[in-house]
Amino acid sequence: MSIYRTIHRVSRAATSCRRLYWSTPVQQLPPHYSRFRSSEQVLGCRVISPWFSRSFRSGEPQPQYEEDQVDPFSLVADELSIVANRLRSMVVAEVPKLASAAEYFFKMGVEGKRFRPTVILLMATALNVQISKPPSEGVVDMFSTELRTRLQAIAEITEMIHVASLLHDDVLDDADTRRGIGSLNFVMGNKISVLAGDFLLSRACITLASLKNTEVVSLIATAVEHLVTGETMQMSSSAEQRSSMDYYLQKTYYKTASLISNSCKSIALLTGQTAEVAMLAYEYGKNLGLAFQLIDDVLDFTGTSSSLGKGALSDIRHGIVTAPILYAMEEFPELRSVVDRGLDDPANVDLALEYLGKSHGIQRTRELAAKHASLASAAIDSFPENDDDEDVQRSRRALIELTHRVINRTK
Amino acid sequence: MSIYRTINRISRAATSSYQRLYWSTPVQQSPHHYSRFRSPSEQVLGCRVISPWFSRSFRSGGPQPQYEEDQVDPFSLVADELSIVANRLRSMVVAEVPKLASAAEYFFKMGVEGKRLRPTVILLMATALNVQISKPASEGVVDIISTELRTRLQAIAEITEMIHVASLLHDDVLDDADTRRGIGSLNFVMGNKISVLAGDFLLSRACITLASLKNTEVVSLIATAVEHLVTGETMQMSSSADQRSSMDYYLQKTYYKTASLISNSCKSIALLTGQTAEVAMLAYEYGKNLGLAFQLIDDVLDFTGTSSSLGKGALSDIHHGIVTAPILYAMEEFPELRSVVDRGLDDPANVDLALEYLGKSHGIQRTRELAAKHASLASAAVDSFPENDDEDVQRSRRALIELTHRVINRTK
Repeated sequence: MSIYRTIHRVSRAATSCRRLYWSTPVQQLPPHYSRFRSSEQVLGCRVISPWFSRSFRSGEPQPQYEEDQVDPFSLVADELSIVANRLRSMVVAEVPKLASAAEYFFKMGVEGKRFRPTVILLMATALNVQISKPPSEGVVDMFSTELRTRLQAIAEITEMIHVASLLHDDVLDDADTRRGIGSLNFVMGNKISVLAGDFLLSRACITLASLKNTEVVSLIATAVEHLVTGETMQMSSSAEQRSSMDYYLQKTYYKTASLISNSCKSIALLTGQTAEVAMLAYEYGKNLGLAFQLIDDVLDFTGTSSSLGKGALSDIRHGIVTAPILYAMEEFPELRSVVDRGLDDPANVDLALEYLGKSHGIQRTRELAAKHASLASAAIDSFPENDDDEDVQRSRRALIELTHRVINRTK
Repeated sequence: MSIYRTINRISRAATSSYQRLYWSTPVQQSPHHYSRFRSPSEQVLGCRVISPWFSRSFRSGGPQPQYEEDQVDPFSLVADELSIVANRLRSMVVAEVPKLASAAEYFFKMGVEGKRLRPTVILLMATALNVQISKPASEGVVDIISTELRTRLQAIAEITEMIHVASLLHDDVLDDADTRRGIGSLNFVMGNKISVLAGDFLLSRACITLASLKNTEVVSLIATAVEHLVTGETMQMSSSADQRSSMDYYLQKTYYKTASLISNSCKSIALLTGQTAEVAMLAYEYGKNLGLAFQLIDDVLDFTGTSSSLGKGALSDIHHGIVTAPILYAMEEFPELRSVVDRGLDDPANVDLALEYLGKSHGIQRTRELAAKHASLASAAVDSFPENDDEDVQRSRRALIELTHRVINRTK
């Protein structure tokens, strides 16, 4: 057994996708692993080391594999469906006219791989909320406790708020990109989007209120305010602020990390954890969110290859200065004047990319992301001991797994 | 003394509000919170004096208690407290998000334009439900409003105003998109973006303030009101022809858009002051009926404007294709009006035709009657509050009733 562990430890140091390929054949896995392979498609992992699979696919007792292989998304896939269906029915039943916007909600949800709800549901289990063992006839009993429903509500609330902010952002972008073109559909689209966003916000508030925990209401409401503050910071910053790493990190916290961190903290509070543990949960969410955004910034430059310029470059073209550029500015102060001159000019964009290529901006951003990812991992490791419960252990490993995937993803 | 009461009763039966204003004792004899008695409400309401002979007979002499007992200006009663609330609102917006300063100005311009009806109702309701406030000290208003409970009730007023303005900001964004179609400029885009963000900011602030009250039933009520605002707006913009011609649909939409917020705020006040569910429901009924009455008269004024004849009003509802109560009543009398409306009110010819039908019908009158009915339901709710001899409580309750009259009788 020890040699398996050794090789496993070696592989864990490498990219995470190998463990996917290590999986035992589908029919031997417990029901919630049934969609195991599909996550490969979702994540776009490539197989790096087939020789692992050849050596280990046949025979070997399952416990060792289950213990080490944990796919975060599969772990919560069934529960996620329940949450998603509940969300969908809430929107459709109450406001039929918003049906078209509702579709949008779930398209967005799927596109985002439901990252936030996944984190939240994993956190719920990781903090030792008892769930029944899965019976063979289905998953209904697993998630039937009242407490579990409350925790699922946090996932619903978080997703509603996230989508509301996207809808509002899209409205504003629409106004931007369709400037000068007015049509009734355009107006109806905007109006519906703003209303749909407001609707989701109010629904989230109502659901929040039903939890009858005012500290949680406070946390989530603060997260909403942070979303607005972050967006405002982004759109109305001075040149000075735009070139400041501190300002950028603060804005990033507001825009990306605050919601997930406060949701994680809410989970801890609802499960009756101490303030200490609640803060650990918060730290996990915060660092995971920051790591996610920093890699997002990198990928916008690098895209699907590690060389510069193959990415979408949408940030820089919108005049949004992100971490790689900010790091490059530290090495090449003249880059600051290029940025100040205005990134709506393609020549300036090209010049900025040149500087970026010469600098260590990409690498340093990756390092910062890795630092946050390991802070997130450390938070999980500091959770109160819970060795007996397999589900708890597995969820915690899944949360740690997520910190790796956030760093190592290529799209 | 009895003759004063008799004449008072007679005047109360008449058209009303400004008569009692003119009845007031001279300014220097009134308690200090009546000091702004004449100016803002008279100007604001555009009252004209009808019966000067009342004032000549009673202005001099006569013990003050009788006059104070009968004369109550709702807006003056809460004016000082309103300033505190408004300042707190302003500082909350400016301190937190400096970039939204320009939107902040807008907030308070809107607030002033609206005569702050909602916060006034809420603060009056707070006193009417027997929340002890100290007697006014001569050195200022600090002692009056220093209780923690009072601060919580003021928070409801702030929250309500934030939500109201947030909805206006979002509505304006949508209207901007409409009216500036085809013209794109950075200011236009910045304006929209700031407005949507400002609305979201206000909503989130409202939620945070709500949470700080640590009363989840109140959070629920207010959140429901926000959802109603959205639902009402959605109902208005995406109704079918059938729905647009339905009085039930219209009243439901009007409840959502106009009455839900104020009714749920009033109920929240009752809950925060520890009233029974029964009294909370009465407070709710007051707010609901006041809101409905207000909107119905609003509909009428859009046609009649400052005179009682048709067509002098802004006519903005009908030009936007929004079918309101007067037209709906007229449709009952003249079914052919329905097809005119269906043909589309963006055509001025159809608008003129619709106005003709309206003039021939009893639409305006019946809408006024419906408004009056709701106003008296609101009054009745206040009359059903638990007995309370406290002078401030009595005065606030009279002020709430006074509001139901003003809502009906205003001409702008």
